[in-house]
Amino acid sequence: MTETNVHDGGVSIRGVGKSFGPTDARTTVLQDVDLNIRMGEFVSVIGPSGCGKSTLLKVVAGLLDADEGKVTIDGESVTAATRNKMIGLVPQAPALLPWRTVLDNVTLPMRVNKGTNAGRAMRDARELLESFGLGHAVDKYPSQLSGGMQQRAAIARAFVFDPSVLLMDEPFSALDEMNRDQQRMGLLEFWQSNRKAVMFVTHSVPEAIILSDRIVVMAAHPGRIAEIIPVDLPRPRGEELYATDEFRDLEARVRTSLRRVMGGL
Amino acid sequence: MSENMTETEAVASVAAVATKRRKPGLGWRIWLPPAITFIVFGALWQVTAIANPYVIPTIDGIVMSLIDDPQMYGINFLVTLQEVAIGAAAGILAGFLIAVVMAEFEILERAVMPLFVVIMVTPIVAIAPALVVAFGFGMMPKYIVTALVVFFPMLVNSLAGLREVDPKALDVLRTLHASRWEIFRELRFPGSMPFVFAGLRVSLPLAVVGAAVAEFVAAGQQAGLGSLVTISAAQANLPVTWASIVLLCVLGVLLVSLLSLVRKRALWWSDGEVVSR
Repeated sequence: MTETNVHDGGVSIRGVGKSFGPTDARTTVLQDVDLNIRMGEFVSVIGPSGCGKSTLLKVVAGLLDADEGKVTIDGESVTAATRNKMIGLVPQAPALLPWRTVLDNVTLPMRVNKGTNAGRAMRDARELLESFGLGHAVDKYPSQLSGGMQQRAAIARAFVFDPSVLLMDEPFSALDEMNRDQQRMGLLEFWQSNRKAVMFVTHSVPEAIILSDRIVVMAAHPGRIAEIIPVDLPRPRGEELYATDEFRDLEARVRTSLRRVMGGL
Repeated sequence: MSENMTETEAVASVAAVATKRRKPGLGWRIWLPPAITFIVFGALWQVTAIANPYVIPTIDGIVMSLIDDPQMYGINFLVTLQEVAIGAAAGILAGFLIAVVMAEFEILERAVMPLFVVIMVTPIVAIAPALVVAFGFGMMPKYIVTALVVFFPMLVNSLAGLREVDPKALDVLRTLHASRWEIFRELRFPGSMPFVFAGLRVSLPLAVVGAAVAEFVAAGQQAGLGSLVTISAAQANLPVTWASIVLLCVLGVLLVSLLSLVRKRALWWSDGEVVSR
């Protein structure tokens, strides 16, 4: 929808560029990327491999520095945002600590960088795990959990310290299709009552549609934004949406866009 | 001969009972093959020893020697144990701590690692006499030699463990702006433990080697199982020599068993044993 220049909330990505490799053989991974994610907005980033979607997420997470451009989160620089614990990251793999219980894994963000804990609306980790359907598993260890449950714990870990922005890097890609759908619905339901600005990297079209307010289609070589597709489906959404004509129309539209981006027609 | 067979049989059945207790229900498949190996080995040994009494002593000769003077063996065992314990503890601690600093400051690894490699490729057997000259015939050169042999495998394995942490978990911590110390405490230290234990698995038997070698060359102080081996061998007192060797072997086995016991308790979360670097 409309790109605003207001920097008071959410993520603002302005003219971000990034390239890798030696000077004589540099690959441009990101070129002139502009994107705003407003507070409470769910934005998916989709595109072929090599389009730089994960790199973009890493730049926003403060894990990589951009060569050009600027990223702000709630008006602050990314460094300031990480220092203030404003970013919740859900990596591709759950990345839970195998020697810690589920509860201790989820409370990890509270145990580090404690200076910013004061005056913060920390969630009760047990309650949070309960609402993620992991109430019975708080004292279990990650290896005792299924892949889907581990990923849910990883998402709970990102929600627990009440960050302004959630960054998710294909969080369900390692799960089988049925499990993935279940986790998707779980995330959707939870997010709908805990609206955060979300940047969600995925390579699944239905996943992007069912979750998002907008879908950012990226192209590769160099990595750039090709198209931003608004998803005007009513919320709250549920599984029944998959069967609607509006969903199918959107799916066709996103797939067409992806095909164009990938060089076909 | 028949007397000796019952002895070996007794040893075998004790081993069998121990194995059975550990893994109930798995039965003879577990304990019988190694038991047969030990019985055959013992029998071959005994036959060779009877035919060539000046090459190796008989098993009963070794056992009798141990029974005859338990105090002498006990004292020497404790001396070597002390060298191993103090030397290994120092080497393990130094190896791990230096690995921690190197993992945090990569430039230090580049600066210091070549020197450590040079020291490590120098045969310890060659360094030991020089250390005796420098530090005398007391315990110090033994501690140093033991610590030296332990140091390098501990350093290399700890360093690998501290570096090879889950990069995704590291990403999560970095996005939270966790400090170096917090990352060490939450991720690197516990995450390095499988590698540290792999290092210990190599280091502890080496520590026994180090202590024995140090005793070989420090002829002045005649204490410890290594000294006992050299002295008795010089006197062609084969039962004492081999009894001391058996005790050195027992010391190594004890250390390794203790280690795998601790490992099982400490690293229950780790799915597989890490092979040492």
